[in-house]
Amino acid sequence: MKASTHTEGDVVVISLSGQLMGGPDAEAVRQLVRENLDAGRKKLVIDIGDVSWVNSTGLGILIASHVTISNAGGALKLSRVSHRISQIFMVTKLHTVFETHPTVDEAVASFGG
Amino acid sequence: MAEELRPNQILLRIPGRLEWLDLVDRTAGGIASQLDFSQEDADGVANSVLEAGTNAIQHGHRYNPDLPVDILFEIYPDRLRVRVHDEGPGFDAEKVLRADPTDPQCLLAQRGRGIFIMRSLMDEVCFEIGEHSGCTAILTKYRRPGSAVEDAG
Repeated sequence: MKASTHTEGDVVVISLSGQLMGGPDAEAVRQLVRENLDAGRKKLVIDIGDVSWVNSTGLGILIASHVTISNAGGALKLSRVSHRISQIFMVTKLHTVFETHPTVDEAVASFGG
Repeated sequence: MAEELRPNQILLRIPGRLEWLDLVDRTAGGIASQLDFSQEDADGVANSVLEAGTNAIQHGHRYNPDLPVDILFEIYPDRLRVRVHDEGPGFDAEKVLRADPTDPQCLLAQRGRGIFIMRSLMDEVCFEIGEHSGCTAILTKYRRPGSAVEDAG
């Protein structure tokens, strides 16, 4: 997995690519989330449009991010969730946990400036 | 796992490291597509085999890279069966199968979805757990009517 971040206004976009499967991925995402929260940036988008697959351990990374950000008074939104990953969200009912948007722009705009 | 492969079998043996799971994914997806499974079903097969492989590496072998994981694909006229084998001690199947990660109280749990995902996306899932012979997840997906492909066997 590779990760990069950029900001759009007061929204942080974390872009992930590759495969999200636990191991070192968990620490990398956790650190990015923590750094932004510590800097007072509480509106985060994780873009997974370039993630080819997520296993259950990878789901745990997304859930941990959601919980950490929510507990800090922020909000996490996901963008560009593939059909394949949506399949996993549906069977696990995580589609009821994560707010998802078709594009990064729409996810950013959903914070309402 | 299989001493001599039959013509309808494809064996993939990977080192016990998570980074090899992408090869497992591409192989599973490729075989499912070759068998004319719909994209939805091919994704389900690949997602399920990934979960079985993840379990084998994480829980079965506890990340020991020296222990290989065998993934045996068996192609039948009416179904694809995948056996994912590790040398680990297995698990308490009754407890795991009773768990429901979609229970509202469990939705934010960070673990415990792998077998549930397999059971949701495959037609049949069972486990062979031997005292000294490791653990094998056996996943079956049936071909839908109309998916006519010459049997490999």
